[in-house]
Amino acid sequence: MKNLSIFVRKEFLHIVRDPKSLMIMVLLPLVEIMLIGFVLRFEIASTNLAVVDMAKQQQSTKLIHRLEGGDRFKVRLTQSMPEAEELLTEGKVKAILYISEDFDRKAVENSESSLQLLLDATDPNIATTIEAYVKATLADFWVDSIGGSPVPMLITEQMFYYNPLLKSVYATVPGLISVVLMLICALMTSISLTREKESGTLKVLLISPLKPLQIIIGKLAPYLLVSLLITGIILALSFGVFGVPMAGSLIMLIMVSFVYCLCALALGFLISTKAKTQQVAMMMSLAGLMLPTTLLSGMIYPIKNMPLWLQGITYIMPARWFVSILKHIMLKASPFSAYAGELAVLLLMTGIFTLLSLKNFTTRFR
Amino acid sequence: MSDVIIQASNLSRRFGNFVAVDNITFEVRSGEIFGFLGANGAGKTTAMRILCGLLAPSSGSATVCGYDVATQSEQVKLNIGYMSQRFSLFDDLSVWDNISFYAGIYKMSRAQIKDAGNTMLDKLELSKYKNRLVGSLPLGWKQKLAFAIAIIHKPQLVFLDEPTGGVDPITRRAFWDMLYAAASEGITIFVTTHYLDEAEYCDRISIMVNGKIGALGTPLELKEQFKVLSIYDVILALARGEEA
Amino acid sequence: MQAFISAQGLVKHYGSTLALDNVSFEVYQNEILGFIGPDGAGKSTLFEILTTLLIPDAGEASINGMDIHKDYGKIRASIGFMPGKFSLYQDLTVQENLSFFANIFGSSIEENYHLIKGIYELLKPFANRKAGALSGGMKQKLALCCALIHKPLALFLDEPTTGVDAVSRTEFWDNLMQIRDSGIPIVVSTPYMDEATRCDRVAMIHNGRIMKLDTPDNIIKGYDGKLLSITCKDRQKPKALLQNEAAINSLYSFGDALHISLNNTDASTLKLISSKLEQGMDSPYQIKEVLPTFEDCFLQLMGQMKK
Repeated sequence: MKNLSIFVRKEFLHIVRDPKSLMIMVLLPLVEIMLIGFVLRFEIASTNLAVVDMAKQQQSTKLIHRLEGGDRFKVRLTQSMPEAEELLTEGKVKAILYISEDFDRKAVENSESSLQLLLDATDPNIATTIEAYVKATLADFWVDSIGGSPVPMLITEQMFYYNPLLKSVYATVPGLISVVLMLICALMTSISLTREKESGTLKVLLISPLKPLQIIIGKLAPYLLVSLLITGIILALSFGVFGVPMAGSLIMLIMVSFVYCLCALALGFLISTKAKTQQVAMMMSLAGLMLPTTLLSGMIYPIKNMPLWLQGITYIMPARWFVSILKHIMLKASPFSAYAGELAVLLLMTGIFTLLSLKNFTTRFR
Repeated sequence: MSDVIIQASNLSRRFGNFVAVDNITFEVRSGEIFGFLGANGAGKTTAMRILCGLLAPSSGSATVCGYDVATQSEQVKLNIGYMSQRFSLFDDLSVWDNISFYAGIYKMSRAQIKDAGNTMLDKLELSKYKNRLVGSLPLGWKQKLAFAIAIIHKPQLVFLDEPTGGVDPITRRAFWDMLYAAASEGITIFVTTHYLDEAEYCDRISIMVNGKIGALGTPLELKEQFKVLSIYDVILALARGEEA
Repeated sequence: MQAFISAQGLVKHYGSTLALDNVSFEVYQNEILGFIGPDGAGKSTLFEILTTLLIPDAGEASINGMDIHKDYGKIRASIGFMPGKFSLYQDLTVQENLSFFANIFGSSIEENYHLIKGIYELLKPFANRKAGALSGGMKQKLALCCALIHKPLALFLDEPTTGVDAVSRTEFWDNLMQIRDSGIPIVVSTPYMDEATRCDRVAMIHNGRIMKLDTPDNIIKGYDGKLLSITCKDRQKPKALLQNEAAINSLYSFGDALHISLNNTDASTLKLISSKLEQGMDSPYQIKEVLPTFEDCFLQLMGQMKK
């Protein structure tokens, strides 16, 4: 027993003396708990809601005010359905409420309503939540303003766009692709490069006529090929087995995936220039890339609900942009303009990471 | 006749089809400095691990300090000291931490550790560095410290696995002075080394070749046996497959 | 004769530690220059500077007229380097390692096979074995072949014999001499003093400084004073007896003997020593004058350096 306590004491000393393990064991879990407990939520606030008000009368206006009050919705008044649908496609609103011309008359005279609700169901959980919020707010409005019981069916037409059957796999496939590609392109390459460093063979490579760029490309190219292959397999499975649609252009999808892979490769390379051993590279990749990608890419927790400072952080996550673009292409068939900006951000990030890693890849040490 | 402290009889160890240690028999006498030589892959390390109680033999037997290595390995471990290549000290712990850890594992009491530890540090002239992290010490000091810690619990026998790798000639000799001092106090020293001049410092040596013991005896005996002038030549002769 | 490799005033710090302290030397074609010294002497640092992997804090060096600062690209394409720990791809076979290293230098195994033939003969049976599964001696041979296969102008070998068994070490040095004879100068480092005899010239290095650079013979001849060797059963006895004699510069154990360094071996000194031994020794002993070994020289130089 005494031996055990001696040994345990020594292990504590090791832990305390090593700042890296302290960080991983203490800081990381704390940060995670804080994130998950306070920040990453499934509740939704301030949903962008487009309202097409064809009635423009007293009751309809009251309804709109009711929707605007409180923090559940941010109402955008649009003049026509096509305009609203464009906003939906571009992702600027998550739902459309269509108030028909005869809303006031029907409500007051016949105690009836014929509202239409269209929801962006690329994230089915979010869509059903928004549906519930809208219906609740409408019911409250009806009870207060129109009166009479029972409350009739207020929404007579409802559609879930892009994912009519509310299949959760539609939402998860883009996120899955982003995580898998990050894993292969960043984690694996960072380990492979540091392995070369550790075994000393990097020294011999540097001494050879191989230009540093050739070494880098030579190391990264196989992973690029593998990841594109894996993406193809995942997509094939999603189409074939899960019925995930490919609403948009396959070519665009491949090109965007290619850009994302390059970005992840650059990140993996950057990590390898900083890490001295494979173990450190793995830790840095897991803690610095994989974990944030899984939590903050919008794959599980909606970004919109995160506090602004955390949303700001998601801006520097390549996965966030990639997942969004994928949803546009795969589920919404959005026009290029809808995600051109996001693609530009991804390209910019790739460029920056590449430059940084090249700068850090010293071939002559001081 | 001095006591036999290690007795190996027909000791063998197989890994699948590969016979690492092939039916070796030898003994080590109490108080002697015994050199255990052989190329990497000749079975040296495997044999040593068996004798330390770390690995079970496939067949044959060995007793160390009177305990059977196969059935009483825990007692074997308690009665021996061990120092490995690259010194087996914890770089990120202080000198005193290392001392108290290892001494504690060998069941020395707090008071005993305090006493023996301080005495040791005085003798090594390292008292000033009691709380210094071991990683910051020069190689030669680490080596001295590692050996002193290996014998702090006064074992009858200490195993040294290539203890003098890489240090300068003066430090190497200082280390062997420590070994002689320990041997004169009755501790048996079982040491492996690649430095062939160190083979000459030993009372008796054995040279393993392909899992078997190719030569066993005092350095002088072996040189006479093979009719050569140095242990190096003995090894060459063995490598060429010459018989004595 | 023009020096093939030359270094002047190389200095390198690691933090506050001085790894190389104003190192200068020359290497000529057709020679093996050996750097002999223990760990921490600065050998690896020196090699990394010569092969242009590391930039020195001060000093110049050139290989065949190419400067390490300005022409490092050209130098890299034309030298062979074997860093410590052999640096092979453990999970590639012998054959795959060799063709990789040949190819990245724009060469092929066939083109320069004659250079490695002698060494590779022993590796041939293992051509399809993964490098990681080879014994230390075999890995060493393979690493040497990989460094040679592109016909380098010069070879830099950093501790290629460390941890390898004695027989393989001898074979390795035989190979080095063949390579040198084919016109490739070799700079090699080793912690084993006995390997100094196999070099054309030797640089004894300790604490970042070259203590002496000369041919093995000259180093031995340059030993300051005389050396006596006492062989006996208990080496501690004569040590204790003679320790405090003023005439004796140093006493060191050497294998089965004790080496005693003296200023001179004239009759009076010898008489003094033998009488001391007669009185104190209770077991048979032999005493004779011997030529110093490299280790004796190294020990003497270390002692002088301390002062």
